[in-house]
Amino acid sequence: MTEPLEAAEPSASTPPTGVAEELLDVVQSVPGVSAVYPAQPLWQSIAGAALSAVTGEPLPLIGLTDTAGTLAVKARIGVSTPRPAPAVAREVADAIRRHLLPRAAAVEVSVVKVGS
Amino acid sequence: MNYPRDTLECGHSLAELSAYLDTGQIADPAHLDSCPECQAGLASLRKLSALGSELLSSDVADAGSGSDDWMQSILDNLRLELRPGRSIPLQSVHPDDTLWETEGSISALIRSVVDAHPGTAAGKCRLHGDVTTPGTLITVEVEIAVVYGHSMEERADQLREELARTLATHTELAIEAINITVTDVLEEQP
Repeated sequence: MTEPLEAAEPSASTPPTGVAEELLDVVQSVPGVSAVYPAQPLWQSIAGAALSAVTGEPLPLIGLTDTAGTLAVKARIGVSTPRPAPAVAREVADAIRRHLLPRAAAVEVSVVKVGS
Repeated sequence: MNYPRDTLECGHSLAELSAYLDTGQIADPAHLDSCPECQAGLASLRKLSALGSELLSSDVADAGSGSDDWMQSILDNLRLELRPGRSIPLQSVHPDDTLWETEGSISALIRSVVDAHPGTAAGKCRLHGDVTTPGTLITVEVEIAVVYGHSMEERADQLREELARTLATHTELAIEAINITVTDVLEEQP
């Protein structure tokens, strides 16, 4: 666990640099998480995919949106058996929330793959 | 094989994935690491290829051309089920958390359980009912193709038990029934 982040100003719209990378480490460290996929599926982000192809920058794996001081976090994960996927999803959300304390957060976790 | 012409939602097609398995070549190989639907598709195509190699009958030749009904049916269903599908809610501890499983991930899980049985390939794998409302009773429909020589009833019973166990572990679905239908029996050459 790293140091808690300072709460952002309510008007802030850009999450602090490095938060996504920190949260990626947090998510990947949860037992049972086998993969983290781009937060925005390719088919939902053609423009982003095109930009990624041009710049070589990978699509962000953790989605962050700052709205009035509440950080919305989105993660799409793969879960390896035999750990129950619902429990892993809850542990991921809890780990994200604890990492961001005392900042308010709304966490969305989607399990998009189960098994090897 | 004759692959359905429709592409997956990521833009790739089953034909492209099959070509990748054959040649190792695809336009954007990095995409495969970031797309669960393509990964599930590759796993299913590998299983189909393995099943084909188990068969030495005329079915194999037909399968190779993709002109036979069973192979085409599997490919058609695969295309449909590789989509993310509906979002299946999971219970969360915190009221501001939203947790989901995609329908596609569960279909792929069902398919992987079926495909793990020797001489068996999953065809249609569907969740019937309102999976988006927690607690609503649903049914699971699975169609399989099996190689001749095993007790179909025994195999269906084993699969049903294994699927029930797996889905109870990895989902919060209220499953009323798991219906397994053997749609094709594939003969081996003596």
